Amino acid sequence: MAAQWGPPAPTRQDPVQPAASARLLVVPALVGSLVALTLGIYGRLHSPTGVAVDIVGFSSPATVKAWLATTAVAFALVQLGSSLVMYGKVPGITAPSWIGGLHKWSGRVAFIVTVPVAVHCLYALGFQSFDARVLLHSIAGCLFFGAFTVKMLALTRRGTPGWVLPVVGGLVFTLLVVLWFSSAFWFFSVFGVRH
Amino acid sequence: MKIPTPVITLIVGVALAASLLFSSMTAVSAKKAALAAASPSAAATAGAVSTAGAVSTAGAAATASAAQPTATGVSATSTLSPSASPSPTPSQGFVVPPHANYVGRVQGDKGSVAIVVHDNFAIAYYCNGSTVEAWLKGTPHHGKLSMTGKGNASLTADYALGHARGTVLVHGVAYIFSIIAVHKPSGLFQSIATVRGATVKAGWIVLADGTQVGSLEPNANAASPSAHAAPKLDISSLTAQDGGTTLVATPIDAETGSGF
Repeated sequence: MAAQWGPPAPTRQDPVQPAASARLLVVPALVGSLVALTLGIYGRLHSPTGVAVDIVGFSSPATVKAWLATTAVAFALVQLGSSLVMYGKVPGITAPSWIGGLHKWSGRVAFIVTVPVAVHCLYALGFQSFDARVLLHSIAGCLFFGAFTVKMLALTRRGTPGWVLPVVGGLVFTLLVVLWFSSAFWFFSVFGVRH
Repeated sequence: MKIPTPVITLIVGVALAASLLFSSMTAVSAKKAALAAASPSAAATAGAVSTAGAVSTAGAAATASAAQPTATGVSATSTLSPSASPSPTPSQGFVVPPHANYVGRVQGDKGSVAIVVHDNFAIAYYCNGSTVEAWLKGTPHHGKLSMTGKGNASLTADYALGHARGTVLVHGVAYIFSIIAVHKPSGLFQSIATVRGATVKAGWIVLADGTQVGSLEPNANAASPSAHAAPKLDISSLTAQDGGTTLVATPIDAETGSGF
């Protein structure tokens, strides 16, 4: 889940704009697919180096990645909560004025912390398929950035159907959670929670 | 023309990725140069790059997500200096590789040991293909390893480009080893599975001559797990048949970081 263009409901359900068209999504979807394919093909063709970002205070790149991914999931949960509030799905809570800002900024932070993780994965490890967890993680990783691109580009299109942002946002969130379970959760459960 | 903010987010992400990729490439070529020269001066240069490459990603993330798009790209790039895992460093005349797989038999042929060093992490496994085995973890430090495992198992070793030697203590018995660096398909393999609520953990060491030795812990979560001989690992499919259960093994590989 990622940054939100704005509280969506009022403008999108405005009866003056009846031509809500899913065709507006063609370009974002194509660009997103291209992103996912590019990452996957690069990860497959590039020979893994085993070397990338090193951060002081952690014992290995794997721990850094596990904690960055966990940070991203924490912000993604803020994303889920704030979007539910924005869409009025939480009974008894009216969306406060700052909720849009919270949603945008938590999304930006979540996205930015995933980037070093993805660079390390693609450059140092590559797209791998030696077991189910790794294959699932490789596929979800490519799809995540593709779906995120679709979400960002869809936000710039006025007049898309109301279901678009929740569906794409939900997809991005789901993929991130899959990524976290197939990497950081696995890592912490095998090696213990460590820095 | 005003650029929509979601597009700015994407641009910032791409810029951050590009700068990290570029610095990783720089770090890797510095490492290769140091390996090729294998001289103290070249290694020292690479070491300096690695030290300078200490990145505060939290800082970078905060900067990169700041509101100003142009300033953001620039500051993200400047914050992220070349970053690398530890580069080869000379230690008593030896070059210490950041990644290495070592396997071999212990003295007296009482079992085999595998040590896999990946950046700042090391995993080792000793087993005799039967009841005596131990998994160990530790942190490499300038070509020296001090590792510990369950049941008071411990391992100390010196390692360098090509070989490692030391002592591993399992079940109160010390085994001395001098072992060599190997590449796939030789190396260390691990399988962790849950069978009827118990964690079954198996390990195989595939030696340079292709022979393998493996042990299996039927209840790996025990404080001092017991073990017996592991079923034969099929190296091509990385599977082994334990009764009715198919165990799927993962290489613990220094080069790819698999299993770490």
